[in-house]
This record gives sequence, structure tokens and C-alpha cells, in this order.
Amino acid sequence: MIALFLALALAVGTPQDQAPAPKTKKGKAKAENAEQSEKKPKKEKKAKKPKDEKPAPDDVTDVASGGEADGQDVGGTGTFVWRNHPQLQFGAVRLAAEFKFQEDGHASYDNADVIAGVKPWELHRNRVGVKGKIGKKIDFEIERELTEKELTEKDILLGLTPRSQWKDVDVNFSYYKNAQITAGKFKVPYSLDEETGVSHNDFVYRSLGANYLAPGRDIGVMSHGSFFKHGLRYQVGAFQHDGDNAQSKKIQGGDATVAGRIVVRPLRKVSSLFDAFEVGTSTAISKLSDDSFRPNGLRIRTVLTQDTFFAPVYVKGRRSRYEGDFDWTIRRAAIRGEYFHVTDTRWGQSYTDGDLPDARYRAWYLTGTFTLTGENKQRPLRPQNDLFDGGIGAIEVAARIERIWADSVAGTDDAFANPRAENILPSGDRAITLGVNWTLNRFIKLQFNAIREHLEDVDRSPVAGMQNFWSRVARLQIVL
Amino acid sequence: MSRMRLMLVGCAIAAAVVAARHPSVLAAAKPPTVDDFFDDSVVQRIDLQMNTRDWQSLTDNYLDNTYYPADFKWRDQTVRNIGIRSRGTGSRSGTKPGLRLDFNRYSPSQLFVNNLKAVILRNQTQDASNMHERISMLLYAKLGVQATREAFTTLYVDNQYMGVYSIVENPDKVMLDRMFHDSEGNIYKYDYNAGDLPWYFTDKGADSSAYVPEPFKPETNETDPHPDTIRDWVRSVANDSDAAFPINVLRWMDWTNFTTHIAVENWVADQDGFNGNYGVNNFYLYRWTNADKLTFIPWDKSEAFKDPVDTGIFHNFLDGDPAKRNRLSSRAMSIDDARNAYLDTLLRISNLARETDPTNPADTRGWMEREVEREYAQIKDLVYLDTKKPFSNDDFEAAVDVLRNFARSRPANVDAQVKAFRNR
Repeated sequence: MIALFLALALAVGTPQDQAPAPKTKKGKAKAENAEQSEKKPKKEKKAKKPKDEKPAPDDVTDVASGGEADGQDVGGTGTFVWRNHPQLQFGAVRLAAEFKFQEDGHASYDNADVIAGVKPWELHRNRVGVKGKIGKKIDFEIERELTEKELTEKDILLGLTPRSQWKDVDVNFSYYKNAQITAGKFKVPYSLDEETGVSHNDFVYRSLGANYLAPGRDIGVMSHGSFFKHGLRYQVGAFQHDGDNAQSKKIQGGDATVAGRIVVRPLRKVSSLFDAFEVGTSTAISKLSDDSFRPNGLRIRTVLTQDTFFAPVYVKGRRSRYEGDFDWTIRRAAIRGEYFHVTDTRWGQSYTDGDLPDARYRAWYLTGTFTLTGENKQRPLRPQNDLFDGGIGAIEVAARIERIWADSVAGTDDAFANPRAENILPSGDRAITLGVNWTLNRFIKLQFNAIREHLEDVDRSPVAGMQNFWSRVARLQIVL
Repeated sequence: MSRMRLMLVGCAIAAAVVAARHPSVLAAAKPPTVDDFFDDSVVQRIDLQMNTRDWQSLTDNYLDNTYYPADFKWRDQTVRNIGIRSRGTGSRSGTKPGLRLDFNRYSPSQLFVNNLKAVILRNQTQDASNMHERISMLLYAKLGVQATREAFTTLYVDNQYMGVYSIVENPDKVMLDRMFHDSEGNIYKYDYNAGDLPWYFTDKGADSSAYVPEPFKPETNETDPHPDTIRDWVRSVANDSDAAFPINVLRWMDWTNFTTHIAVENWVADQDGFNGNYGVNNFYLYRWTNADKLTFIPWDKSEAFKDPVDTGIFHNFLDGDPAKRNRLSSRAMSIDDARNAYLDTLLRISNLARETDPTNPADTRGWMEREVEREYAQIKDLVYLDTKKPFSNDDFEAAVDVLRNFARSRPANVDAQVKAFRNR
């Protein structure tokens, strides 16, 4: 009800929303697009948008990355305004509050409610946060998820690991533009899809590779910056663990991690068509312990129903992640692709305490989007004409094809599915996602996805004998 | 006839003679069966091979249901790639864990001896004699009631002796098919959470979720658990008028199955059964395919033989604190057919217990006492070597003595109580 109320209120619009957002020029769109990944380097002053331009409220460049609309002084001490977010100014300190709500409607195979606990409706995200800036050189952000459940004493007694409700909690120092320092809890720099903000994504769910093979958030320190007028961007950091994607209530996850990511725009001088053509690669190396009595490998689950079709195996030693990606935006269309390759060593993990061949996890995806209402592609998409303001908002269609699978590097034994098998029985999932995204205005987005999955090992299907199934999801997203 | 043919004929005749004189030669060639695995005339031996850390983890985290991979060996049969985990409620132990062995945990089509998906290894940590369960289930079987098959076994993990266990048939579709030739119905385990208040088969309300999946936990056809059947049955028992109850309840139950179930429990003085001292417990319920018919299947009799020999035959349903009397059992006793079936079954059990061995007239001991001695002889030395058990060897001997005395004394006591009730 609260979400619906907010949706109605925001659909009508706040007073500042009445003026339609100016159309973004092509070059401007490209520059913004390049800035969309979280933790991107600051823009130079000349890249600031004019004051009347309205970036989307969940645009990651708002405050923490320095100098966008929300980052500008809002007035004298104690001044409150609502530009893209509710904002306050106290002397040199500027604060912008941010709220993210995502309500999902689900459906999948028969009895998914019993087998997988799929609920027809779910408050998927309910996050609050504050982004701020102290002076010109220090940005910070704090974000907390309100819906995740705390563990009970019994859970803890059973060895379950709590999942932190804190998301991004970090501070960025930009004294050197090409070597900025971020410290705190934030995303390990790995994977294009994982680094794309969740409210900016072209699909309701990230790709399987990003969800299960990329590290996610962790506590650490990172240096980042750009050269050649953003022709090359880099991130390199050290982290306490290997991210919350690799952990669960029952999976301890990896330990100390070093990670790096480089993104280049190699063809930008060849043609304007390639202005927004980017190629990236990432790597992350983590220590792996077998301290937990449970298997500490990666698990892989289906997209919506989250049925595990590859259970974690026992691992010890080192986790090595490699990744390559490209991202190309051409006016109203965009395509992306990414390949993930992860291996875990398994020292001392056989029945006789000997070494086993590495466990191996791989994934790829290819996505395409096209805006039907004429807007140039951006993440997030900004309507030329908001709904209820003379227009219908922005509508785009999207499609993704992907595969994720796991096995071990060559072993000589028969293949088994048990977590100490020398030769791990392969298991994978091929998925196709078809979607429509309807951005009503800069606050509200509706997403509709139909997902067809094909499980490669029918024995590990959630329903006996079922290898293919469809899932449907609709999401209402409100970002203030 | 060529010389070669003569040789072949000669070999065939020689083989036939050998096979006729030594049937075991032929038998040895036959792969063992599930009946061999549950052959209780011998103590079986099971070997598990697993990573050294896994057994340590399993015992350190014995409250957890995490599965560990292992290779299983019994006789010359090796089953690779099985899953084992700690199991039990009050019997859970970090020293001598009760175990569930899932042969198809990691390979859904994998069966042991072409039949079994899983078995239970009961650790007997609540029964110093190790025999309560075995004798109770044998008693059910002698009465024609379908009960789990059981046999003693020794367990070795990575060649280390872990003590005496009981192999117990796992309640699943394989067992249902053996018992009823009907396995597509719903089997429910009566299962409560630690801290739940004892339940005496009283009305839990109109919401079927108060019955299924807890405390009636579906173990087959989980996606189609028919909770309304359980709810309607319980509510009928709890609320129907005295006139309607005897008619309505027959929609779900037959008195022979039910009265036999509770008669054995009462006869063996089970503290933790359907009419136990802690509320309803320890049974499975089978709902037949496409029918509302419900059949009780006995489970876990480790707390049998623990109440006194003179335990009342209506303990906790016509006797005892009225607030703690089982509603179904007490109402059943108001129906002549059910009450008479119950009392007759008690007498029948007494007769079985004191039945002498017709092949040995000199032996005046009844069947139950002989069974105690047979099992004692099977496991005594192995129990003495079992350093994981939570009892001393003296405790074991004392517990066996209690059983011997119970077997001798209980028949007369029950008979007298039945006679007194009927003559009142």
C-alpha cells in the first residue's frame, strides 16, 4: 500500500518535476553513460550538467562521485531542498538521502511456492541511504537494506553466517583525480554486470554469471582513476574477503582478495559510432580456507526460483576469477556481453585427504536493448516525456541469452555429483530473458521479464523430470 | 562324439554334482539382496570411507543436518558417492552420532542392493540394552502389523570401530511399496519442534497449516500434502458428538490398525509413543493413494520397556491426568469394537511373549525372553568393545536384566489388568 501510494504521488510528480527534462545531447549521453558504474572517477568540472538538467535520482554520479546536481551546494547551512533526493546542507557538508523500493510479482513452474518458496509478491529491496560530500575532495555513502532477516540464536548455533544488512558504506578521497582512494564496504571491481547499479539494470535480475561468479561487495581499499579523457579507467584494490555473492548463511566464502579491473574505449577516435564502445577485463584472486565444516565452493542457482542446481564442493587454496566484457551503446540500442571463468583449487579434499583437480565455474551472457520511444540508451533510461506530463514515459525492449555451468578440470575417475568427487559431474543452466522496461518518470520504473531456463542436468532439477521451465516477474521500482 | 564334446559333458556333470552337494557355491554367485541386508540372524558390518575432516565435522556439528560424501561398503558391495548426515531428536550425539545414509543423495537413480534409497543407523544412545526398538518391531511384525525392518550392525569409519548400531529401514516409497504395495500416497512423520507444547490429539483449529507440515510432516508428495485430510480427521476426533464419532471416524481409520498400534506401545510400556508421557509422538501415518484412509506405522521405540512392568493398560488415555489424556485413544475406548479389539490384542501379545519354543520343550522361556537372550548373545562382545556408547558395560548388563524381568512379568500383569477391567 505504501508503495502504491508513493507510486501515485510520484507519478503525478513533485513541483520540481513539472518541467520536462531536457533532451540529452548525444555526446552528453555518452559521457554520462561512461560514468554510470558505481565508484567511477569524478568528472571534471567542465563536465558538470547545467543546473536545470535532471539526472535520475539513483544516478550513481550524484554525490559520492562528485559534482553532479545533488553535489552542488544547495544553499546556506540548514537549507533543505528536493532536487533528485531530499538534501540538506550544513556548512561544507552536503547530504542527500536516497530510498530504493522494489516490489516484485512472481510466477514460475507449478508448485514453485511449495518447492522453492516463491511468493506471488515480494518486497525485493527496501534500501535507505545517504550520500554526502565534505568540501570538494571527500565523498561518502551509507546504504542499508531494511528487509533482510537477522539470524536467530539457533541459526548461529548451527553455524550459519549472518548476511550483512549494510550495503555500500564507504568514503572516497579525490585529492588525485587519477588515483582516487575509496575505503569501506563497496563492490569488488569485477564484472560489468555486477558493477551496474541494480536500479539501472536492463533486467529485473542480473546475469547468472554476475550473481554467482562475481564477488559482490566487501570491505577493502581501492585505488581508481582514469586516463586519456576516460579512454582508460582502472580500479585496483585489496579486500578482506571475496564478496558477499560468494557467501551465504551456510557458505563461508573466500578470504583475502586482490582484484583489478580495466576498461578502455579503444575505437573512440575511429568513428562516433564507437564513442560508447567499451572493452573491459577483470581479475580477482582470493585465498580459500576449509575452516568451515561445510563446503566452501560456489553454489549456482536458477534465476527466479533460486533452486540450487550446483551445490558447493569442498575447496581449499586459491580462487581465481577472470572476466572479459564489452559494452556498446549506439543511440537507441545497446549490446553487452561478458564471459566469466573461475577456478577453485581443492588441496587435501579427497576421501584420502589428497588433492583434487580444480573446481571450475564458467558463464557468459549477451544482451541487447532498444528504446521504442526514441530516447537514446542510457542507464538509467530517462524519458523524454514523463507519464502524466504529456508523454508516456520511456519504453524499451530487452533480451538476454546466457549460460552458466560448473564442473572440474579433467579428472580420471567417473564423474560424480558429490562435493568431494575427483571428477565433478557438470551441471549448468541456459536461460533466455525477454523484457520490457517502462520508465514512467525519473522516480518510477516498471519491468516485465519472461525467463526460460533449461537445466542441463535433469537430475538436479527442482522438479523430477523437468528440464525446461518459464518464469515471469514484474517489478515496480521507486527510487527517491 | 568328439573328444571335446565328451570333455564338455564331463565338466557339466561335475559342476552339477558340486552344486547339488554344496548349494553355497551357487549362492555365492548371487548378489546379496535387501533381505540379506536386514537379516537379523547375524550382525552386519558397514564400512564408510570419508575425508578425515568430514567425520570430525559431523561429530562436532551433530545438531546440523549437513550431508557429507562417503563411500559405503557392506560385504562385497561398495556404493560410491553416498551422502551421510547426523540425525535424531533426543538421540543426537557428537560421540556416537545417529546417521542417515542416503544412497541417492548425489545420484538420484542410485540404489543399494537394487532397492534401497536410504537407511537409518540408530545409535541407541537412549537405550543401554540396544534392544528396545528391535524387540518392539518384532512384536509388531508377529502381530501382522507392518513395521520397519531392522538388524544390528557394527560401523567402521575409515577402519575405526564406531560401535554397535541398528540398521532401520527408512520410511520412504520403497518401504511403502514393500508394506502396502501402494507407494504413491502421502506419508507423514509426526514431528514437533523442541519447545512445542505436548499435544494430546486435541483440536488445533480450522487452519490446515496447524496440522501440515507441522506436526504432520509430509515425507512424500510434499507438493500435494492433503492437509485437509489430517485437519478433518483430528477435528472429527476432537469435536464430534458421541453418536457421530464412531461413524465419522471410520472414514479415516480402521480400528484394527489403530488398536494394535497402541496395544503394542502400551504392552511394552513405551514412554514416548502415541499415548506417551510427553504427548503424541513417534509414528508415521500413511494416507493411501487417492483415499482418505490413514494407517499408523510405528517408529522409534527406544523409550519402550522404560515404564514399570505394572504400567496401566489405559495409561495416559483412561488413566492419569485428565488434561493429558489422548483424545483419540480415550474416545476409541468408548466404542465397544475398538475397546474389545484393544483388550484382545493385549492378551494376544501376552500369549506371544510367553510362547515357548515347540522345537525345544525343555526350554520354558517365552518368546520374548528368548529373543532378549538371542540378541544379547549377538551383541554382548561388540557392545563391550564399543567405547563410543554413552553407557558403561554394567549399565548394559543392568538394562538387559530389566528386559529379561519385563519379558517374564509383563504378560501376567497385563492379563490380570484386562481380566479385572472386563470383570469390573
